[in-house]
Amino acid sequence: MLQMFHYDFMQHAFIAGTIVAVMCGAIGVFVVARGLSFITHSFSHIGFSGASFAIYVGWDPLEGLLLFTTVGALSIGQMGVKFFRREASISVILSVFLGLGILFLSLSTQSGSFTSTILFGSVVGISLRDVWVIVILTIVLLCLLTVGYKMLKFDSFDPAGAQAAGLPIRFISVAFLLLLSVGVAEAVQIVGALLVFALMTIPAAVARHVTQSVFMMIVVSAILAVVGVWVGLTLSYFTSAPVSFYITAFEALCYFLAIGWSAFKSRYQPIKASV
Amino acid sequence: MIKKFCVDQIDVYINGEKILDHLSFSVQPGEMLGIIGPNGAGKSTLLKVILGVIKPQHGTVEITNEDHGPVIGYVPQSRAIDEEMPIQAWDFISLGLPHRLRPWLTKRDRAVIKETMELTDTSHLAKKPIGKLSGGEKQRVFLAQALVRHPDVLLLDESTANLDPKAQEEMTSLVRELCVKQQISALFISHDVHLISEYSHRILYLTRGHYTVGSVEEIIGNADLDVLYQLQHINDISSVATDVDTMRYGG
Repeated sequence: MLQMFHYDFMQHAFIAGTIVAVMCGAIGVFVVARGLSFITHSFSHIGFSGASFAIYVGWDPLEGLLLFTTVGALSIGQMGVKFFRREASISVILSVFLGLGILFLSLSTQSGSFTSTILFGSVVGISLRDVWVIVILTIVLLCLLTVGYKMLKFDSFDPAGAQAAGLPIRFISVAFLLLLSVGVAEAVQIVGALLVFALMTIPAAVARHVTQSVFMMIVVSAILAVVGVWVGLTLSYFTSAPVSFYITAFEALCYFLAIGWSAFKSRYQPIKASV
Repeated sequence: MIKKFCVDQIDVYINGEKILDHLSFSVQPGEMLGIIGPNGAGKSTLLKVILGVIKPQHGTVEITNEDHGPVIGYVPQSRAIDEEMPIQAWDFISLGLPHRLRPWLTKRDRAVIKETMELTDTSHLAKKPIGKLSGGEKQRVFLAQALVRHPDVLLLDESTANLDPKAQEEMTSLVRELCVKQQISALFISHDVHLISEYSHRILYLTRGHYTVGSVEEIIGNADLDVLYQLQHINDISSVATDVDTMRYGG
């Protein structure tokens, strides 16, 4: 099994995948707490359009991803998150950016392979330079998340209390959207635009059911995301099926097990109390 | 402790409608000011003005402290909290601590939380998830979160409305005791005339565009208040109920 680490592409995939998974697991807790799952999904579509644009103009796809998602985050922050939570608004944004992405790809000369790379990810195609970019971005992102942890936690888990305590809630909201946009841009490279959900929200949703504190929710969410990426890479190496499939299948399995466990616990507890 | 808490001539318009009209009053340290009035009179709007969430079109709210900026604690009637989130009462109370860029809690932070939990009788709830607490327990935890930052001013917006009468009395009595002991100025909104008259030092009676501030005796004797809260009607009902009980039990 260890022979897969003899290949550079597998080493890069494991390093980049692990780092991105830790970041997604941690940031995902706040995505779930703030009810931003579908905005995250919108970001991935905006990112798809950005990567297509980058290919069209000859940039690195990550540059286009970052440009489009951060501009998207600032726009959403400016207009207010509530507007973007509306079903109709999300549908319009998803369609427009998907359309733009297809347009840019059709205009570029190398559309075929890039379409599947951006939409479904290509963790095994990550170069050493990509790994370094991902490492630096993740360190910056996790440092900012650590510094703003208390305020973000207050605003995410008790928004009314945070506003009453005089926290700059508008600033927190926009700053978090910016962090999220960078996180999505990174994750798109691993699981692709269509499956960012898998790493950004499922581990946190699982952790919600099996932990008893916010800190543990972050730890468990990050561990689940990392294990998902490792399982995905390993099984993909031996079976040649796509990594994203195994990652999403693993995370989904964990989610259904967590729901089952939660239901079992809530049924069992009253019986225990009455004994 | 605050040096001055003064609401001076404030006007507030919402959607072109005047909600508060030249409202003025002041509150002393350790004083509990009950606020009563019909729905839509601007009671919650007043608290939001004091919190700084709503800016008045005219007038000022001046809260000055002896050594630092004023700290305000706020306890609403209910909060939009996802009850499935794994946040324990202890963790929830810690959110109220002054916000520093340090992600962990210091020994002093832990001591302050512990002391606040003892004061509000929430120590036994420390490890319970907030979603699993009863209405009364939750309100006590919300109160503890507001108190953990050592507020100069405490604002309670119908914070006992969802509680049973016994829990209402217990919580209001606790707030009054803490206000007096820690010299906190409290503004306390309620529709419960008994609770307001029993625990307030003074009362602000607010109707749309009008207000009266006075002692409990002055405001409770107000005829409008009798009509608003149907005090006479309640008295009538209770006397009928007593008659019925007497007949039923053959007394």
